[in-house]
Amino acid sequence: MNEQEPFYKNARVILLIAVVLGSLVVIMPSYSNGEFHTNLKYGLDLEGGSWLQLQLQGVVAQVDADEGKIIQADFGRLLNDPAIRIDEVAAESVTFTTSKDTDKKTIDALGYGISTISKGADGGTRITLQTNKEYLIRKYLENSLNAEVLPITGRFITVEIRKAVTQEEVENSLKLVDGKVIPPFRVGVSAETSDLTKKILEDKLNTAGFKEIPIRTVGDNYIMVDLAGMDMTTARDIAAKPGKFEIKIQVQGNETAHVLYGTEISKVDPIQMESVRVAGATEKVDKWGVPFELSDEGAQALRDAAIQYGAVTNPESHYLSMYLDGKLVFDAPLDRELAKNIKSVPVKTLVASTGQGDDGQKKARQLQIHLSSGALPVNVVVVGSGQVSADLGEKFKEQVVIAGIIALFTVAFVIYFRYRQPNIIIPMLATSFSEVLIILGFTALVGFQLDLPTITGIIAVIGTGVDHLIIITDEVLAGGAMPPDKVYKSRLTKAFAIIMAAAATVVIAMSPLLIMGFGALKGFAVITIIGVLIGVGIARPAYAIIIQGLLVESSDKKFADED
Amino acid sequence: MTLSIEKIIESYVKNVTLKQMIIIPAIFLLLSLSILSYTYLTTGSPVELGVEFKGGTAIIFDSPKTPDELKAEFRGYPVTQAREYGGQERKMVQFGTMTESVHDELTKKVNSEYTNVEIRQMGEVVSKPLQQQAVRAIILSFLGMAIVIYIIFRTFIPSMAVVISAFADIAFAAAMMNVFGVLLSLGTVAGLLMLIGYSVDTDILLTTRLLKRKGELNEKIIGAMKTGLTMTMTTLAALVALYLVSSGSYIISSFTRIDIIRDISMVLIFGLIADIVNTWTTNLGILKWYMEKGKLREKTIEKPKKRRQTA
Repeated sequence: MNEQEPFYKNARVILLIAVVLGSLVVIMPSYSNGEFHTNLKYGLDLEGGSWLQLQLQGVVAQVDADEGKIIQADFGRLLNDPAIRIDEVAAESVTFTTSKDTDKKTIDALGYGISTISKGADGGTRITLQTNKEYLIRKYLENSLNAEVLPITGRFITVEIRKAVTQEEVENSLKLVDGKVIPPFRVGVSAETSDLTKKILEDKLNTAGFKEIPIRTVGDNYIMVDLAGMDMTTARDIAAKPGKFEIKIQVQGNETAHVLYGTEISKVDPIQMESVRVAGATEKVDKWGVPFELSDEGAQALRDAAIQYGAVTNPESHYLSMYLDGKLVFDAPLDRELAKNIKSVPVKTLVASTGQGDDGQKKARQLQIHLSSGALPVNVVVVGSGQVSADLGEKFKEQVVIAGIIALFTVAFVIYFRYRQPNIIIPMLATSFSEVLIILGFTALVGFQLDLPTITGIIAVIGTGVDHLIIITDEVLAGGAMPPDKVYKSRLTKAFAIIMAAAATVVIAMSPLLIMGFGALKGFAVITIIGVLIGVGIARPAYAIIIQGLLVESSDKKFADED
Repeated sequence: MTLSIEKIIESYVKNVTLKQMIIIPAIFLLLSLSILSYTYLTTGSPVELGVEFKGGTAIIFDSPKTPDELKAEFRGYPVTQAREYGGQERKMVQFGTMTESVHDELTKKVNSEYTNVEIRQMGEVVSKPLQQQAVRAIILSFLGMAIVIYIIFRTFIPSMAVVISAFADIAFAAAMMNVFGVLLSLGTVAGLLMLIGYSVDTDILLTTRLLKRKGELNEKIIGAMKTGLTMTMTTLAALVALYLVSSGSYIISSFTRIDIIRDISMVLIFGLIADIVNTWTTNLGILKWYMEKGKLREKTIEKPKKRRQTA
């Protein structure tokens, strides 16, 4: 045994040391300006901030209905003709006859398809629509549910309804046209829609000055947003309340008229500060504002409205107001200069001035988000949220460190009480500590956030880790002394059989958490599982070699003493 | 000191009969199950549900006001409960479901008037499915554990012994949550799952040592008990430390309550206390009975009809 290489040259021990050193490099602890810095990332509950769980309002369902009935229902209403006769239903067209007089332009404008009009054989108008079943069903549902309905490609007619409707509502609506919902009826939206919503939200928050916003989609209809350093009220204001943006113009008194929707806003620039001379004042003042650009149609619509209601000649009594979900977010009159310009030509580039100082800047920022994102594709509802204020997070952080240290000392005390040999206790604690470092290194490497659950997970792993070290120690030292190498190896194998079994049960038992709870405890589960794997794969085998080395040396001494 | 513990273990192993071994944990299990059923009958779920599973809003903050004063202060909102929450002046106020604008108003008020604010809000749309998920997670986790145990030992009775004692651990931990007013939160669910994986450690140790080693039975039991109890004691000590630090002002007055750590450590403490009892009575008892029965059968005339055990 003693002729063999010393324990510190063993491959497993070298691996452990290398990984610990690697972890230290990744964590990069440093001390400067009286503060301790590392590469570790902390979660919201330690940094302070808020999280929101948003539900995307929509359903996905496979549907079926009769084309003829849809035509009869919809065109019956649109043409005010309860007696529409269906002549032919083909794959790409539907032909029907109405007693009313109508023309191609009217029918085409209804948006059901391109039409061919002819005189009916027995009077009335015969109309052939280039359309198909899927399109008709979508049109029908859009009208009857008053919601946006999108197709989902596939073999069957499946649609995404962007509104929180129940299966019953859809069934009832389809029943009128001999249709039905073919189960399963799924509450949620398509992957594309949830992705798009996520991107717009990201964009929105980026504009608000968040560089890396952890937004993740959970399942088909949930989005989780973490907003570090932001209280819940502000978080909700920014993230969860996007909606339909609309610009209106004051007609008279409280009466307003629609000008354009957020979709006509083609570009929003970063907020800016301008020096403006206010009427009557001698000095210029700095005012914050949001520059934005309208599409051609938007600019035209603004010009039409401004001229129609007289804002070009008297801007002060025809304020332009911006609404988000029907709530006024900004209103101001047209600038005199601008009013003059608009009178002669559509103006695409505008600046919404929000005022002076910090307040003006804050308002400008908010308005910029509203303007730049327009509406999310679907409505979102806050179904869950949480906040840990920054001061509390700081407290948690300190206390967690203290908790870890105290736990480590308690463990040290108990194993001292049991073994009383520094040759066992020191390697044991060192191994546990190296496991902590490796797990932390892992989190730093993959950019995993350390939050309270993950830290609890780390402590739990250390708990099981010490247990496993005790199993190894007791197994190989059975009978009190370090056995010869051959016996040692076989005992170690037995110890590892127990450890592997124990590790397997922990990993299996924790795995449901990976998918449960909208990912809330995913961190805890991932860390526990990774930690256990690091433990049984790297740290504990090395520990076995180390105590063998250390204990052999000491028993040798004993032998020498006895001699 | 160490010697005396060894003596206690020795006399326990040699003197306590199988019947005595089974009776205590059986009483424990019965008690746990009756507490759970009582809670189920009175509240509709075996463990009292926290905000995450019930829906609503919980706001935790520092305030010198009494819970009653706070209740009065938040009269305008749907307050369901106000109580002390560890720490020196820590309070928790719970609310029922509110509309978004009312919720905004409430959070704005709390954030501007109080310090160290923690808010947790869960809508019913989420909390209802979360309940089902939690139940499913616990069942899945338990089944997974049972399957792993069976794969490891490949014999029915010893595997059953492990699974039964794990079940008794979890039942006891859950029952104690009711007794001590710990609500079912995401933290406690995590604790229960952790317990499922963790509490079988000592059972695996015991079963492996007894079934797969040569040697005198009682010697093996004593050895396993020494190792197993050290394991559990180490973990328990660390958990008690964690519990105390995360509970607030017991040790240092500036400490505040950290729910998730407190929840997980509390569940594990109860579970491990039960584990000491169940591993070294229930599991040990069944195993001993199984091994002695096996020995008897080997010595008596083998019955050719019955399938022979593949040892």
